Amino acid sequence: MITCGLDLGSGVVKGALIEDGRKILNTASRPTRGNPSSAGQQVLEDLAEAENLVPGDLAYLCTTGFGRYMFPNRQLQVSDITSSAKGASFLRPGTRHVLDIGAQSSRAIRISPTGKVLKFKMNEKCAAGAGRFVERCSKYLQVPMEDMSARALSAQKPKLISSVCAVLAETEIINNVAEEVPLPDILMGVYLSLAQRAYSLMRYVGIESEITLVGGLVHSEAMVRAVGDTVHMGVNAQSEGHYAAAIGAALLGHQRALRLSGPAGVRN
Amino acid sequence: MKAAAGIDVGSTTAKCVILRDGELLGKSLNPVGVNIVRDAEEALRLALVDARLDRSEVAFVTGTGYGRYKIAFGQLTVTEISCHARGAHFLFPRTRLVIDIGGQDTKAIRVNERGEVADFAMNDKCAAGTGRFLDVCAGALGYDVAEIGPLSLEARHPVKVTSTCTVFAESEVTSHVSRGKDPKDILAGLHASIANRSLSLLQRVGIEPEVTFTGGVSRNEGMVRALSGRLRMPINVSPLSQYMGAIGAALAGADRLRGGTAS
Repeated sequence: MITCGLDLGSGVVKGALIEDGRKILNTASRPTRGNPSSAGQQVLEDLAEAENLVPGDLAYLCTTGFGRYMFPNRQLQVSDITSSAKGASFLRPGTRHVLDIGAQSSRAIRISPTGKVLKFKMNEKCAAGAGRFVERCSKYLQVPMEDMSARALSAQKPKLISSVCAVLAETEIINNVAEEVPLPDILMGVYLSLAQRAYSLMRYVGIESEITLVGGLVHSEAMVRAVGDTVHMGVNAQSEGHYAAAIGAALLGHQRALRLSGPAGVRN
Repeated sequence: MKAAAGIDVGSTTAKCVILRDGELLGKSLNPVGVNIVRDAEEALRLALVDARLDRSEVAFVTGTGYGRYKIAFGQLTVTEISCHARGAHFLFPRTRLVIDIGGQDTKAIRVNERGEVADFAMNDKCAAGTGRFLDVCAGALGYDVAEIGPLSLEARHPVKVTSTCTVFAESEVTSHVSRGKDPKDILAGLHASIANRSLSLLQRVGIEPEVTFTGGVSRNEGMVRALSGRLRMPINVSPLSQYMGAIGAALAGADRLRGGTAS
């Protein structure tokens, strides 16, 4: 049985196809560009084409992310907290703490050994602590997004940012540039500031090993290092982590499909 | 009696006034860049030109504002909280509450009948609710921050801006525009959002008339109207509102001159 999870995020729509709740068949993503449902439809088509799926092959479609209600052809929607937790636990079974940093929000989730959510804390009110902060820095420092992490990693003396607010930090960073602080030091300061914000969410729910980073910043080695240095602990990060919520949604869709097709007595 | 100068070194501009016996002799406003010391000195020089005074005729210089520690040529530094309280009380003696909205912070100050600070609350951690918020959102709409106040007053169906964060509000503004909303209606929503943020700050110190509005944002008529509407009371604004901190600083210096403790 093939199930699909669609994570309709504010920056990117991610999709994952899972076979029998065990194996990742494929993943795909498209920028949201303000239209989650059309981006979601495209991701679905990309996946169907890549796996030669015909109508009827897909047993269940489950959506998650901020746009989960905006996708009409869904059978189920789950919160991004639940799906991230499930996906992270599938990718790294030892995970007890999930840190999910998205484009517009970030969340820390403490989970049980089976991937159930025990406690979570979310920041969706403030751009500091979300991927948006890195995007803005990339723009006004004129460093392409894809180079940010590599340049930050060559920092000698990271320049910490004292402003909490993403907008006020901008002024501070520009002053640092004027004072000729080396660019890598400024960039690593950006990641450390993000990690600092994440740390306060993480402490709130309780830090426990293993920590798994998911969300769009998982590709950024500087972010992984910044979080590790801030919490003084190793942090799991792998590229599929970008799809954690989509994978989790597909897995939860699989569970639901099984329940629905099972004997009448266990249906709920 | 000799003249006293007050310099308020803010995050975006340095304001300087020169007072003698409670009379305003000259004032200046100078943008602040990276070199705060030079920009503050320039503000003093411009105020001296405006007052047609020589530097030697100014017996006392007091600094205030967030850059006050960087100016080395003054004899005294005073917090901007007490300066705004003092300045507001000087211009509007019945002031009991000061709302100061600056370039990147907002303060609510309750003052007693002598113009002394009774209590205050401040937001300097977050750009939402400050001049910076208006700056960024005006930019997103393609306006200069100076034009948006009057435009917001022409709104017919104000749009509600739900994001608190400046960065998110900027995107919200763009999405309202793409949905065909009238920029004036969006501007009214942005002003209302700041008025709401200010109200919660004011409530923390207790709202009591008269309310005096100071700081750079007080020059924005749309903001005056939004704030006064939210408070349901008239608020005092003066063309000198932006100089309130500098006036307070100069008055504090004049006290020292009178007390003979200038050195």
